[in-house]
Amino acid sequence: MIDWQYSESIESPDIVSIKKKYTNYIGGKFVEPKSKKYINTISPSTEELLSKVPLSNEKDINSAVKSAKEGLEVWSKLTPNQRSRYLFKIARLIQERSREFAVLESLDGGKPIKESRDFDLPQVAANFFYFAGWADKLDLSWATKSLKPYGVVGQIIPWNFPLLMLAWKIAPALATGNTVVLKPAETTPLTALLFAEICEQAGLPPGVVNIVTGDGSTGSLIVNHKDINKIAFTGSTQVGKLIQKSLAGRDVGLTLELGGKAANIVYEDAAIDQAVEGVVNGIFFNQGHVCCAGSRLLLQESIHDEFVKKLEKRMQSLRVGNPLDKNTDIGAINSKEQLDKITGLVNEGVEDGGELFQTECELPGNGFWFRPTLFTNVQPSYSIAREEIFGPVLTTLTFRTPEEAVEIANNTEYGLSAGVWTEKGSKILWTADRLEAGVVWANTFNKFDPSSPFGGYKESGFGREGGRHGLLSYLKASS
Amino acid sequence: MIDIKKTYKNYVDGKYVRSESGKTYTKELKNEFYELPLTSKKDIRDAVTSSKNGYKKWSSTTPYLRMQILYRLSEMIEGNKESYIELLMDHGFTKQKANKDIDESIKNIVWFAGLADKWEQLAGNLNPVSEEYFNISHQNPIGVVFSLSSSNVSLNELLMSILPSLTVGCSVISYSEENSVLALKFAEDINNSDFPSGSLNILSGKFENILDDVSKHVEINLVALHKELDNEGLKTIEQNASESVKRVFSQPSTEGFSSILPYLETKTVWHPKGT
Repeated sequence: MIDWQYSESIESPDIVSIKKKYTNYIGGKFVEPKSKKYINTISPSTEELLSKVPLSNEKDINSAVKSAKEGLEVWSKLTPNQRSRYLFKIARLIQERSREFAVLESLDGGKPIKESRDFDLPQVAANFFYFAGWADKLDLSWATKSLKPYGVVGQIIPWNFPLLMLAWKIAPALATGNTVVLKPAETTPLTALLFAEICEQAGLPPGVVNIVTGDGSTGSLIVNHKDINKIAFTGSTQVGKLIQKSLAGRDVGLTLELGGKAANIVYEDAAIDQAVEGVVNGIFFNQGHVCCAGSRLLLQESIHDEFVKKLEKRMQSLRVGNPLDKNTDIGAINSKEQLDKITGLVNEGVEDGGELFQTECELPGNGFWFRPTLFTNVQPSYSIAREEIFGPVLTTLTFRTPEEAVEIANNTEYGLSAGVWTEKGSKILWTADRLEAGVVWANTFNKFDPSSPFGGYKESGFGREGGRHGLLSYLKASS
Repeated sequence: MIDIKKTYKNYVDGKYVRSESGKTYTKELKNEFYELPLTSKKDIRDAVTSSKNGYKKWSSTTPYLRMQILYRLSEMIEGNKESYIELLMDHGFTKQKANKDIDESIKNIVWFAGLADKWEQLAGNLNPVSEEYFNISHQNPIGVVFSLSSSNVSLNELLMSILPSLTVGCSVISYSEENSVLALKFAEDINNSDFPSGSLNILSGKFENILDDVSKHVEINLVALHKELDNEGLKTIEQNASESVKRVFSQPSTEGFSSILPYLETKTVWHPKGT
């Protein structure tokens, strides 16, 4: 037997120079926060301090919203073709600097370079390209003439796909003629601030894009600002509900892209090896920090044992470690807080009676890590089968008939995504029709494209991002 | 000879029912007065149960059949035109204005009937993703809709608060306060048009009595307010709605195609292409 020695392949962090301290980007200028306060941002894979970013207060938000209002004056007077060109230019600049962005994303957020380089950044550029082309074709987009931009849009984004969520928010908002105040997540602000440099390089008129950093209190100031015309939020259902509540009785538009607990249904007539691959990708992609992660594996009883055996074997081959190692499959958990949440829910699952499998792998000494985890022998009432874990933890349930599979899949307040695995076409269509989910992946999982609408049913939120349908999130029907 | 006066009741699950509370409120018109059901919280819960079942039946009815049922509604109203005109005149309409209201109503029903088997083609599409996948976005109706009708007395306005969501396959609980005599009369034509029971429930009463229950009920998926409410009422509804991420639309557009957009959930399905 050959004794294979593992040899790592580290992407050099030298391509990006991280400043000791960053400022907000307001009115086309990099400005010190009026709050004079900063928060630290660390690398979750080493716990080392990367930089400091503003903890913006009310004065900072007032100035960002004011600048967005001024920016709207300019932006709305440009021709659609000019707006389109700015977006094309931004897309190109992102492509040119994509490796720099990818490395920074992996450093600040902990995701494997393989994903930030090959998934996040190509998708970021693609989103700007896609919406660039809509900016001068809005009149062709929907069979109605009464759609108008909201004006100033406040956008609050999460830490799981920091720059990609920025692209999902900013590209359609600008294409439809709005201006934005965007707040990146507290733990992953750096790529958004680097994006501000792209706006400057593209010569975007001042105030069209404003980026302010901070924590939850900063987000709340944006939501409650009197001159905001629309809020777009991606994050937890809990915070989404609070935002919806804060906007009650106010004439402010809202789209929410919230949590999920997606069912990934594997029928006995599925191509099993492909399904194992898809299930692994469905839950372990991006450390399971994915709102649409296939976190509930629904196996038809007859294939349960065989499938679990293959799945455990495949899981064991996942490489956990340094996000900058090009071989890494699973990087660092984004924060200590998230690691504690995952650990807590997994402990609860064990106490409830779930059977735990975790891969054997060495975890780095510093940083936040969690082994790929599989639960079997789970009852639908367990919290690991109901709550969003947002980590590399898969929960298995079984079913006997397609009707039962659909019933279990829909038995959740969430409705973001779902997966179906079968070689029988009619069964795919039958199942997809009955699933209460905004995205259904059949014989695949976790596929994304700027032209493909994404968003949830039920408590997974409302509105769509991406595609022709994504335009409606930034246009309001006015009579 | 003494006249025989019609008793108006709520229309729930395909049946004419009084409020379980036994309570009524009085509506006085020019020539007649009516005791109308004062819908209670329990009545609302019953209506939601019926609407949930009605949703299953109505949303699984083929678009071709939904179109014909909606068209039949226009036939019913056309046939009963004189009685609508009489009732509108009792509300103070001139004959000419009443005629116009009915004509507009029929025109709109025909328009929506014809949309029942076309909106999916207008609202859905194939997405040109840049990998080898078949990717299509199409729509599901959002589910059970509660629609508060406008305070204006008008059959057409009543219809425009119902037709957009009903056409795409939602089940609707239509609630009227000022417009209730007309709404409960309209229930008779619904009853004669082959709508499955529970697809459209029609109730009357004081909205303030049920506002809290409607906005908190987790099985109502969307609240459409076609009547202007004071800010406090709207705020309470929207705050309650946030507890289950319920959709609330205040004065939604009733203009053409944009009228149906609030009632749709977009579902996108991916499948790989290959040999």
